[in-house]
Amino acid sequence: MSGDERPDGGQVGVVDEELGLLDRFVELKQRQWFLLTGSALVLLVLPFLMIDGLSVLSELLTGTDDFAGYAGLPSLVLVFAIVVIGFDLLLGYTRLLSFGHAAFFGAAAYGAAIFSEQVVASPLAMVVVGGLVGTLLALPIGVLSIRRSGVYFAVLTLTFAQMLFFWARSPGAWLTRGSNGFIPDAELTILGYRPDTPLTEALLVPLPETVFGTVTVEYVLVAVFALLAILMAYRIVNSPYGLVLEAVGQNQQRVNFVGLNVFRYKLMAFVISGAFAAVGGALFAIHEIAVGGGVYPDSLYWIQSGDFVIMTVLGGVGSIAGPVIGAFVFEYIANVINGASTVLFTGPLQPVLGEFTLNFTPIWRLVLGGVFVLVVAFFPDGVRGALASLARRLSDRFGERRREPATADGGDD
Amino acid sequence: MASGADPGDADAGAGPEAAGDALLTTDNLTKEFDGLVAVDGVDLAVERGETRAVIGPNGAGKSTLINLITGLLEPTEGAVRFDGRDITGLAPHEIVQRGVSKSFQTASIFPTMTVRENVKIAAFAAEQGSFRLNFLRGRDAYPAVEELTREMLEAVDLLGDAEAEARNLPYGDKRRLEIAIALAADPDLLFMDEPTAGMSPEETRSTVDLVERLQEEMGLTIVLVEHDMEVIFRVADRIVVLNRGEIIADGTPEAVQDDPAVQEAYLGGVEL
Repeated sequence: MSGDERPDGGQVGVVDEELGLLDRFVELKQRQWFLLTGSALVLLVLPFLMIDGLSVLSELLTGTDDFAGYAGLPSLVLVFAIVVIGFDLLLGYTRLLSFGHAAFFGAAAYGAAIFSEQVVASPLAMVVVGGLVGTLLALPIGVLSIRRSGVYFAVLTLTFAQMLFFWARSPGAWLTRGSNGFIPDAELTILGYRPDTPLTEALLVPLPETVFGTVTVEYVLVAVFALLAILMAYRIVNSPYGLVLEAVGQNQQRVNFVGLNVFRYKLMAFVISGAFAAVGGALFAIHEIAVGGGVYPDSLYWIQSGDFVIMTVLGGVGSIAGPVIGAFVFEYIANVINGASTVLFTGPLQPVLGEFTLNFTPIWRLVLGGVFVLVVAFFPDGVRGALASLARRLSDRFGERRREPATADGGDD
Repeated sequence: MASGADPGDADAGAGPEAAGDALLTTDNLTKEFDGLVAVDGVDLAVERGETRAVIGPNGAGKSTLINLITGLLEPTEGAVRFDGRDITGLAPHEIVQRGVSKSFQTASIFPTMTVRENVKIAAFAAEQGSFRLNFLRGRDAYPAVEELTREMLEAVDLLGDAEAEARNLPYGDKRRLEIAIALAADPDLLFMDEPTAGMSPEETRSTVDLVERLQEEMGLTIVLVEHDMEVIFRVADRIVVLNRGEIIADGTPEAVQDDPAVQEAYLGGVEL
C-alpha cells in the first residue's frame, strides 16, 4: 500500500516479486519431476549396483566377493529407508527425538503378518492393514507423549514401545506367538507372481537381463512404496505445513505467538512419522514372509528404535536423501559386513593389511559404531553432508570458470 | 470479583468506567506465585488506537501482567476482556488468533529460515487459522500469503533482505523482523516488550519511527513496556505506572511525570 507512494522503487519491486513467485512455482514443479524420475531411475538400478556393482568392487579391493550385496538386501534397505524418511520428518524438521518408533514399525509388521494368515495373503492389503494399525497406535501414544518435551518425550515414547514389546513376548502370545515369532502359514503372491520372481520374467517387455536380472517382483513393490514415501515427504517438507514443522523445531514459543496450535502440529508430525514407520513395518513383514520367515518381538524392541535413530543421524538429518543413505550404510554393515564372517584379504589391499584374517560377525556393531562416531564427529550433517561437501569441493575445482556468477551464492550455503 | 467471568456483570462494570472505546480491559487481574503477589488487582483499560506505555521499577510486575493478558500465565483472580469478549484463560495461540500479538524482549525469530519464511509463517496463521494439514500445495503457491508477507516486510523495511538467513541479520534488524512477524499475525493490539532494549541510538530512533508509523498507518493499538523515557515520551499517549504489582498512576506522560507517588516509587522506595 505504501508502494504507491514511491513510483520509482515500489513499482519495480512489485513486478520483481511476482516474477520471483512464478519462477519459484515453476521451479518447484520441475524439481518435483526431477526428483521423481531421478529417484525412480536410481531405484531401478539399485539392485544391480548393490549386487553386481559391489561384487566387482569387493573383488577389486579384497580379492574376494565377500563384500557384495545379496538378493534380498536392496528391498530391505528401501524398507528401512521408508521408515527413516518419516522418522526424519520428526527428528530433523520438528526436532522431536522419539525413542519408540519400533512400536509403530513392529505393530504394523504384526498386523500385516496376522492379517496375511487370518484374512488374505495379499501384500497390498497387508500394507493397508499394517499401515493403519501402526498409524492408529501413533495417535494415542502421541497424545500422551507430546505433552512433554526433550528427554521426557523420548523416555515416554520408549516406555510405550517397551510395554508393547513385553506384551508381544508373553501376555500377548495368544496373538503374536511370543518369542517363536509369527510365521504365517500363507503363500504370498504379488499380482499372481511369487515375490522372488525376477521382473524380467514377470514383464512382457523384455529388459536386459544383465542389469535387471536381480530386480524381483517384491523389490518392485517395495520400490513403489519408497517412491511414494519420497514424494510424500517432499510434498510435506515443501508445503506450508512443513514450513510450520520446521518453525516448531526452531522456536516453539514464537510459533505459538503467531497464533498456531503447536500441540496439534507436533501431534500430526508424530502421527505422520508413525505412518511412515507403519508402512515400512508392513513391508518388512512382507519381505520376511517372502523368504519363509516371520515377525518377532525384536521388531518392537528398543534396539530397533535406536537403530532408526542411528540410521537417520548417520545419513544426515533434515533432508530426504540423508535417511535413505543412512538406511543403506546401516543395512550394508548389518548384513553384508556382518555376513562376511571370515575374510582373508588377498587382493590389492594385501600389501597394506597383509594376509589379514578377520571375523566380522561378533563385531559388526563395533564396526557400525566406529563408522557412526567418525561420521557424526566430522560431518554433523552425516554421510549426506560429507558427500555434499565433497561434491562442492569437486565442482569448485573443476567448474570454477563456468559457474563464476553463482559462486558467491553457493559459497554462502 | 472472582465471578468476573460472568459476561453480563463484566459488561456493566466496563460501561461507566471506560468512557471511550476500550479495546482491552482487565478486571481485578491478580497473580500469586506461592503466596507472593506479582500482580495485584490491576484494572486496566486500553483504548482503541492509543499507544500505552507500561513502566515501573524492576520487579514491578510488568512482564507478569503482559504474560497474564497474552495467555502465557493463568491469573489467580480476575478477568481479561478483549474486543468485548472474555479471553481469560485462553491459550496463547487462541488469543493471538483473536487479534493480540506480541514482540518479545529478545528477538524471538526462526534463526535458520529466511527473513521471508519467518514472516510467511505468521501470514499463514493469519490467513488459515491455528491449524491446517495442508501439504498438497507448495508453500509458495498461496498468493494472499505472499502478498501479506511482502507488505509486512515492506512495512519494516526488510524487503531487501528477504532471502537472507534470519540469524545473519544485525540485532536491530532482528527486532524489526520480529515486529514484522507479530504484525503478519494481523493483530488489533500489539504488545511490545522493551522494543528498543540493547539498541544503538540510531536503531532506537528508527524503531520509534516504526512504532509511530504502525499506529498512524495501520491503526494499531500498542502497549509497550519500556525503560527509555525519551522513547516513552515520544510515542506514548498515556502511561501506566506499576509498583509492587499495583497501578500507582495512570495518565498522560506529563501528569504521570509530576505524580508524587511515581517519584516516590522511582527515587524513594526502590532504587532504579
